[in-house]
Amino acid sequence: MGPLLEPALLRRLEALALQVRRAVSGQMGGERRSRRRGQSVEFADFRNYTPGDDFRLIDWNAYARLDRFMLRLFVAEEELPLSLFVDLSGSMDWGKPNKAETARRLAGAIAYVALAALDRVRLTVFAEGETSGGAPSRGRRAAAPLFSRLQSFPSGGVTNYEKLVWPIGRQRPGMTVLITDGLGDSPIDPALTALQRAQQEGAVLQLLAPQELAPDWSGDARLKDAETGVEREFTATPLTQGSYLRALAERTDEIERAAHRRGLRFARLSTAEPVDEMVQITLHRIGLLV
Amino acid sequence: MWKGARVMSFLAPAAAVLALTLPAIIALYFLKIRRPTRVVPALHLWPSQVRDRQANVPWQRLRPSWLLFLQLLAAAALVAAAVQPVLPAGASLARHSIVLLDASASMQATDVAPSRLGEAKRQVNAVIDQLGPQDRMTVIAVGPSPRIVASVTGDRDTLHRAVNGITASNGPADLSAALALAVGLVRVGDDARAYLFSDGIVQPLRASFSAGLPFPVEYHRVGVSGENAGLTSLTVRTSAQTRAAYLHVQNFGQQPRSVSVEWRADNHLLDVRPLTLAAGQGQDLVLPVPANATSVTARLASSDIFALDDVATAVARTPRAFRVLVVTPGNVFLEQALRLRTDLQVDVLAPAAYRASAAYAMTVFDRFAPATLPDGPSLIIDPPAGSALAGGPPVGIGRVRAADAGDPLLANVDLQDVHVARGEDLRSSTFGRPLIGSLQTPLVLVRDEPFRQVLIGFDLHESDLPLRIAFPILMQNLSEWMLPPSVPSHSFHPDEPVTIVPEPGATSVSVIQPDGNRRSLATGSIATFADTDPTGLYTVEQVIAGTVERSWFSVNLFSDVISQLKPPERLTLPPTRTTAVQATHHGQLEIWPWIALAALGVVVAEWLAFHRGI
Repeated sequence: MGPLLEPALLRRLEALALQVRRAVSGQMGGERRSRRRGQSVEFADFRNYTPGDDFRLIDWNAYARLDRFMLRLFVAEEELPLSLFVDLSGSMDWGKPNKAETARRLAGAIAYVALAALDRVRLTVFAEGETSGGAPSRGRRAAAPLFSRLQSFPSGGVTNYEKLVWPIGRQRPGMTVLITDGLGDSPIDPALTALQRAQQEGAVLQLLAPQELAPDWSGDARLKDAETGVEREFTATPLTQGSYLRALAERTDEIERAAHRRGLRFARLSTAEPVDEMVQITLHRIGLLV
Repeated sequence: MWKGARVMSFLAPAAAVLALTLPAIIALYFLKIRRPTRVVPALHLWPSQVRDRQANVPWQRLRPSWLLFLQLLAAAALVAAAVQPVLPAGASLARHSIVLLDASASMQATDVAPSRLGEAKRQVNAVIDQLGPQDRMTVIAVGPSPRIVASVTGDRDTLHRAVNGITASNGPADLSAALALAVGLVRVGDDARAYLFSDGIVQPLRASFSAGLPFPVEYHRVGVSGENAGLTSLTVRTSAQTRAAYLHVQNFGQQPRSVSVEWRADNHLLDVRPLTLAAGQGQDLVLPVPANATSVTARLASSDIFALDDVATAVARTPRAFRVLVVTPGNVFLEQALRLRTDLQVDVLAPAAYRASAAYAMTVFDRFAPATLPDGPSLIIDPPAGSALAGGPPVGIGRVRAADAGDPLLANVDLQDVHVARGEDLRSSTFGRPLIGSLQTPLVLVRDEPFRQVLIGFDLHESDLPLRIAFPILMQNLSEWMLPPSVPSHSFHPDEPVTIVPEPGATSVSVIQPDGNRRSLATGSIATFADTDPTGLYTVEQVIAGTVERSWFSVNLFSDVISQLKPPERLTLPPTRTTAVQATHHGQLEIWPWIALAALGVVVAEWLAFHRGI
């Protein structure tokens, strides 16, 4: 098994950073503006001294002018909790280039951007069986183990977005990125609603293969569902191709509308697009990365 | 005549074996399709759409399908077209059908759309489409000179092309000549039948057809109306003081008609006269002719169903005069008779003063014969004994008679009361053919070679001929025969030959038709110009010693028979001479092209149904 991401790509990713629209509260110090007051060079506010406060923070110049003890408050800089939810269901193990493989690389790239900025990354894969979570990772050195985990998760099984509701619900406010093809039979709304409730600022990245966007076959076939294994006889004609493309467009539009309704970013990606371009162009365009 | 029992027959019944394609198509639908498996990420996005369209194993139950129905329908239609079904058509056809298609002037009438000729062509084309594979057809265009345009052929394309290529002439329909052509094409025992598509306005049939024809003739009348007004006469008369044109306008219809007559000289409008003509009424108009006009034209400025008689043209110039020399000791009758022709300038000379001269177009020798006759038309009357042309000793004659009563030189010449006292015995003369004779001897001989010349073998004073009305008429006939006007200035009918005598010394003679086409004629001899189908003014140009001499003649319809236009209900046609039973059969109407077209439509529908996923 080769490396998930090439060293050259990793170097380019170090120049990027996750963009958050509001201040966040992490557990450890980092490079993100926190809603809490802490130690940094950036002045935030004054407040009256109360016993027990660190007297090192008293602004003596203010005392000289006002004859009152005032504390100078500074913006705390903390880490950004980033949760990555990667769909590795049966429908993702399809297409050329393979959607699951591309999802792994994309998740790895976003995670590396966060790790390089001392943000905390929690990776969750939902596929066959139980949803697989993991311990949060922090710092560049955590990248290699995280990449190994990504590559070790097998793909397959039925998409069930409802399984994400509980893991999302226990997130601390932060950023969540959901990478999926959105084609599962179950609705995606519960998962997005959970994101909103958990005060997650995030993005839904829909990943589709070029063969899905423009079917390259016609004629008679026995169609087999990649997740359920259900089969059905089918004759592809220009008319039925059009019907399929309309259904696909409706489905993706539905996901986009649901994401925007909840203040989430949305991007539709094709696996024909290199991960490098996805990260540097598309994710930059939707404001996820800067 | 055009009705028959509708029983379908087939020209290619063996093609019915193609019907095996129908069970073959059904068999294909019994076969189940083997479909390749394709994994798709989300089956629920694909519509429920299943259609068998390929032969496979194993067998399956036949499912009703629009595609199957349309394919069976298309195959059935193609099989039906392949056997070439034919319906009996209305026409009773013989094995050899002779179509006589009237292409005369009256067929230009537009009382039926697009014209009588167009309607007749449509009817003939319909008959051609009904020809069976064994049938043959001949098409004869009946005009002033009937011609065979398609001869004994069964090729429909050839026949259609021949019929569609026929154009109407401006002349009359010579049905007798057309029937003579048709008779020549039919052999004894042939199963032939003739079909005349005409408006019935044809020249009277010759008496020789009263014995009957070897085939029956069916008359198919074309045209309905006789509502027409036309110009039937236009002549220019010159008197001592004035020149005037006399025009006759005739309403041939059953309805009153208001027309206006445009009067032009050399295309310059001189006058417009409104006229109201009652049904069948004609009116004469006297119209002025300018002194310097070459031609005058009258035009009816109202549109009717027949345009050919709405224009009349006449030559306004007086013809050029001929110089005629009369060598005679004295003959008042002869001089007066010759002077009746206005275009002759007569010089009289005593025999003693005669010298041969090329200045005269014609020479008349009365009781005198030169040593050698001049090169040109001559009339020799009673040559003296001893001359080369003199006959035998005089014989007593008495009554005279025509050698051939139908000879055009004796037209209107009544010889009933003509007597001759005595005349030369011309029985042994080799001068030419006899024109007038008696019991005893020929009296008047004529010849064409080397020049048109006439020999009268008696002294006019020894006869009562000069006292009869026949004399000036005979002299007129003879002089016009020997010396036709260089270019006759009167009006000709379309397709009537015009005799043109080149002027002495003419190096080129050409005729310019009304449409501007130029035709060259031979200069050495009298020429006959027969290409006179277009009506209008013809110009004859002769180049004489480097100068161009122009003369004119006009061609106009001027035919009451044609202009009255009303097609006769019945046309008297010659009886059928043959007693053999005519083995006519009904024509065949092939319907396979329509079936094949329907099959094409079904195939297109099947294609659309497939692509629309029906």
